[in-house]
Amino acid sequence: MARARTTKELAQRIDLNYFKRPTPLKHAKFWLSLGVPLLALLWIVGRGISSDRRIYSSGSLSRAHAVLENECAACHLRQAGGFSAKAADRACLDCHDGPRHHASQIASPLCATCHAEHRGRVPIAAASEDVCATCHATLRNSQPDTRYAARIHSLLDGHPEFAALGQITDLPAGDSPTIKLNHSIHMKPIRRGPNGILVNLECGNCHRATSIEADLTYSDAKYRAAAVSYNVGDEILPVRADSLRGPKPITGRELMAPVKFANACAACHLLTFDKRFDEGVPHDKPEVVHSFLLEKFQQYIAAHPSELRVTPDPTEELGGKLIPPRVRVFTVSEWVTERIGDAEELLWRKTCKQCHTLTISPGGALPQVAHANIKTQWMPHAKFDHDAHRGFSCVNCHAKALTSTEASDILLPGIAICKTCHGPGPGRADARCSECHTYHDWSKRKEVTPKFTLPALRTDQ
Amino acid sequence: MRIDRTHRAWAIATFAVLAASTIVYLLDVLNAPQGPRGGSVVGLLFGIIGFGLMIFAALLGARKRVSTWRLGRAQAWMRGHLWLGLLALPIILFHGGFHFGGTLTRVLMWLLILTVASGCVGAALQHYLPRVMTAEVPLETIYDEIDHVRLLLREEADRRVEALCGNLGFAKSSVEGSRRAGGFTALRPIAAAAAPLRTSAAVSAGASAAVATAPESIRLSQDESAPLRLFYLNEMRLFLERPRKHSHRLAQAATASGTFAGLRAVLPSRAHAALADLEDICEEARQLARQEKLHRWLHGWLLLHIPLSLALILLGAVHAVMALRY
Repeated sequence: MARARTTKELAQRIDLNYFKRPTPLKHAKFWLSLGVPLLALLWIVGRGISSDRRIYSSGSLSRAHAVLENECAACHLRQAGGFSAKAADRACLDCHDGPRHHASQIASPLCATCHAEHRGRVPIAAASEDVCATCHATLRNSQPDTRYAARIHSLLDGHPEFAALGQITDLPAGDSPTIKLNHSIHMKPIRRGPNGILVNLECGNCHRATSIEADLTYSDAKYRAAAVSYNVGDEILPVRADSLRGPKPITGRELMAPVKFANACAACHLLTFDKRFDEGVPHDKPEVVHSFLLEKFQQYIAAHPSELRVTPDPTEELGGKLIPPRVRVFTVSEWVTERIGDAEELLWRKTCKQCHTLTISPGGALPQVAHANIKTQWMPHAKFDHDAHRGFSCVNCHAKALTSTEASDILLPGIAICKTCHGPGPGRADARCSECHTYHDWSKRKEVTPKFTLPALRTDQ
Repeated sequence: MRIDRTHRAWAIATFAVLAASTIVYLLDVLNAPQGPRGGSVVGLLFGIIGFGLMIFAALLGARKRVSTWRLGRAQAWMRGHLWLGLLALPIILFHGGFHFGGTLTRVLMWLLILTVASGCVGAALQHYLPRVMTAEVPLETIYDEIDHVRLLLREEADRRVEALCGNLGFAKSSVEGSRRAGGFTALRPIAAAAAPLRTSAAVSAGASAAVATAPESIRLSQDESAPLRLFYLNEMRLFLERPRKHSHRLAQAATASGTFAGLRAVLPSRAHAALADLEDICEEARQLARQEKLHRWLHGWLLLHIPLSLALILLGAVHAVMALRY
């Protein structure tokens, strides 16, 4: 039989004050509840004594501001006598100027609205596309008469086709060059000279970025060395005055340099003018060419006076009977004028006109060569870096170059080409507005007075 | 605390608040150009609500400590602690936009995650273990008194064995002066009830049973008692002294039963009643060991939960003040 106990017997085993006695579990709970918060408090007090405010930072600073990681007060300006020390625009403006975006903008956001700090080592200058969309998604609301697209949310949502491709009203569309160039012919195998070899040009033979050495395969040393009388304005269309400039100077690898005759054309397009000379005329203004011809023919006739007596080839009558030529004797002046006339007829009517637009005036005056009007910047409100895309074949984007026959054809790729690579999500190139656009109008940039000194930066390290 | 139907209202309210908060958060994500931030209006709102929930959850400790407070029933506080404490985690994640931020905020986030996680583990343990305790430990006693009860069991076993084998020289414990339930003086022995009083409930049920006669004194000869003496001194007493040692064969009910069956075979039948008492004492010792183990599971998580939550409240307050400043 099992042992028997009463309720009272069982109850008598229990000490009525048992709850007052500490057990190991209660002990541990008490000391841990005291110790852990105390440790936390000591940590906070310790940081406070060492004046280390970094623990209150809500995240690492951006790459550009990493050097200020210990300098909270650089941005968090404390009001005199106040408790608050919020980051203020004037702290940003101590180091950076932030020119306005447009003169017509109706509101200027705070610096931190676009450039949020404490988000880790990110490029702080690259604002989110959503920031731009706060205005550009509803631009019509603030600027009813704007000529720009008014509902742009992102590159993929609402961004219009490039203005240069002629789909925006009120903006000059297309290209207006005076140079005649058939890209299609130049992209096919072509014969170099009348009896020369077949060559297959590549884009890089003619086109290169501004700061990159030219490919001299089809250059001519004489023309490259020659000084020319025309200036940049005769060749290149000036950049529009309302173009936005980037914050940093361009490296020269972003945009393509205008194609130079001396570098890319001279090897094939000879400017020969007379069978008596192997060399060609200078690639220069008609006045210079004329002077060159005058000098050359004068020198030539002085060395070859026998040529003043000109015996033309015999001609035939209809019946086949030869008519003896009439010998003609020129004075030097007449001979030179005659030769220059022939040469200029060849140059102005054929050689030069093959590429240039010439206005030939009656009465023997020299022709006017139209300015080349070569565009170097197609998107005045955006930046494009060819260098960043150097890994891709040119015709990947400029496919129209293979079929273009007129220089006025716009070979700028459409925005759809950009969207094949640029877009949201992993595995795609960045599609933020700042990839191509700049917000601040850096042409109105003002210099700031330096604020920091190196020892000050070192104090908390 | 069991999580049963009485929690339904709290659970529904919690999920409703969570759903509403999620909608507000998603709207904020869509409308905030730089993404959600703790310093935005919505972010601050989430922060205030989240910290308020944490404060409320922490007040449960105060409510328990000052039981005279008449601020709602303890069970309502417990349910609120459980559900609103759980809600604090997503609200604070919304507050930070799922970013852990800098040093202090990262510490706070991990403290919150660990506190909520340990609370969830604790809630699950408190939901299941009481049933396990009821099923497996019918002789459950007050946890703090287990060591004392274990000493009494050993003395009881000593008396039983000495009654059969003669004096074995066991020291008697000194009478404690502590105030014990049931009065200072022990009543005269009470006769065994018709049914064995093995459980507290049964004891209560049979408390009014008739007074029984004292157990009959049976003394075995030296030869007869030798197996029992050896068993008790070498095994059972060691087990009663250290019942947590799992390798002991009396620590397992099956092996213990076999051991006592073997003893019954070698001891005369007049000793079998005392042997049954010893087996009963072993069973109670096993149950107390099991109760200790379950109790540690049932309350051990608090060693993590409470200190971390206190540190969380303290650092949360620091964060709130400094965030307002910066």
